[in-house]
Amino acid sequence: MKIILVSRSAKEVIKGGIELHDEATVSDLQEAIYARTKKFYPSRQRLTLPLQSGNQGKPVVLSPKKKLVEYCDGNAKTLTVVFKDLGVQVLYSTLFFWEYLGPLIIYPIFYYFPVYKYFGYEGERVIYPVQTYATCYWCLHYFKRIMETFFVHRFSHATSPLSNVFRNCAYYWTFGTYIAYHVNHPLYTPVSDLQMKIGFGFGLICQVSNLYCHLILRNLRSPVGNGGYQIPRGFLFNIVTCANYTTEIYQWLGFNIATQTIAGYVFLVVATLIMTNWALAKHRRLKKLFDGKDGRPRYPRRWVILPPFI
Amino acid sequence: MAGFLSTLRRIYLSLYNWTVFVGWFQVLYFAVKALREGGPTTVYGFVERPLQLAQTAAVMEILHGLVGLVRSPISATLPQIGSRLFLTWGILWSFPETRAHILVTSLVISWSITEIIRYSFFGMKEAFGFAPSWLLWLRYSTFLILYPTGITSEVGLICVAVPYIKASEKYCIRMPNKWNFSFDYFSASILALAIYIPGMFICIFFVYPSQAMCRKKLFSLSSDHITNIGRKSTHVPVYAWAAQEGSLQVKDG
Repeated sequence: MKIILVSRSAKEVIKGGIELHDEATVSDLQEAIYARTKKFYPSRQRLTLPLQSGNQGKPVVLSPKKKLVEYCDGNAKTLTVVFKDLGVQVLYSTLFFWEYLGPLIIYPIFYYFPVYKYFGYEGERVIYPVQTYATCYWCLHYFKRIMETFFVHRFSHATSPLSNVFRNCAYYWTFGTYIAYHVNHPLYTPVSDLQMKIGFGFGLICQVSNLYCHLILRNLRSPVGNGGYQIPRGFLFNIVTCANYTTEIYQWLGFNIATQTIAGYVFLVVATLIMTNWALAKHRRLKKLFDGKDGRPRYPRRWVILPPFI
Repeated sequence: MAGFLSTLRRIYLSLYNWTVFVGWFQVLYFAVKALREGGPTTVYGFVERPLQLAQTAAVMEILHGLVGLVRSPISATLPQIGSRLFLTWGILWSFPETRAHILVTSLVISWSITEIIRYSFFGMKEAFGFAPSWLLWLRYSTFLILYPTGITSEVGLICVAVPYIKASEKYCIRMPNKWNFSFDYFSASILALAIYIPGMFICIFFVYPSQAMCRKKLFSLSSDHITNIGRKSTHVPVYAWAAQEGSLQVKDG
């Protein structure tokens, strides 16, 4: 069969189209496009069916495992496919590694090295126990995240645009510096011993729970990474859809209760807003996918991310 | 019901845009008056009140974008309004030592002319459903000069203020305190200056070329009036609020 490949402005991307055998899959098409263009490797390609005129809905994205004939609505001899270049892609594991490496390295610099004299604070620094524990807690957290990236997570998409590396690193590295500066400051005021213990204790419990949530999510997907969605079950997932985000938020709350900085709380609020956005989208997606029709299970009533609020 | 709400929206936005238009017109009027009567060092004194009112009123536009009254993305409106408020209140009002500088004149003139054109443009569209082509021309042409002069004045005035900011310790919060919070207005101002650099980069390499393309497309179609219809647009947003414009199409006949 013949595939006509057009851009979104209806210009032909590959002159004369591509000839493939009738049983070809979308993945075969992606390989053929890469072979012909030399530049657009498969993870850079976004292939959709052309929108019918007047139809303002979202275009149908071609799924790599499916056969091309499944997208033909009658004429099985030719198919027009719309191509979009997603730009340079990096592996999700690459993205996560770089964004987490910053905080892991920057924070201890503020703890161990005499950086504050460059801000005008001369003289010896008194280090409180809470500051030492905070450094351990923080580094443990980001080390855990890096380990999870390589050994636990199974990603729904293999890659992410390169521009996200800059954006995400800016976010993590800037906040990491902002918090590290304040917690390790020579004029830092520690909270009571009890408050510190409650904060770190609660935080550690949440970090362990968070790891457990990630393991549950991992087992929902098969090792032959093709993404896909299942209804999460077990542990906190029985009451809240995004229990992994919930435990992550509470884990930061624990850190902030122990260290008490405005910088830390600002980070907590921003992170909560970002994760709530993701959680709402995921909850919506799961509810739409598991609508109870055609033998599919119905998605149970659950909190989205932060009971009892949302 | 939908028709009633949409009419209400039009009335509100017409009132809003024309009111702020009048505010900026006053700013320009008093600025010119000051230049003729006292010279550049007196400009601030003449324009202070209308400038503060008109500029602060723009905060409403963030609200408009948030509730969906207009289609502007707040990611674009926030930086512009942020920098304007920073200059108006954080520099000029807070540090009187800057008020006599010549850059105040260029700042006020650049801002007021840009805003007069912008608010009358939106005011026309909301109230009458169209904007005359000469106004459209002004909108897409004057920014080529006014944005550079405006940005230069903003950056320049921040630089002028920096020594006074550092010396006065104004708006600074120092440690130790219970919440382990610190704020250094001097550092924040330097950071603000630094942000202008990527901002200008985005302008030169993205906004300007797309505007040039837009101007070519729009002004190669000759017409007395340009009307709003449908969703398809031939233009690209000008620096933030233009998404509000929706679509433009040449009127037939």
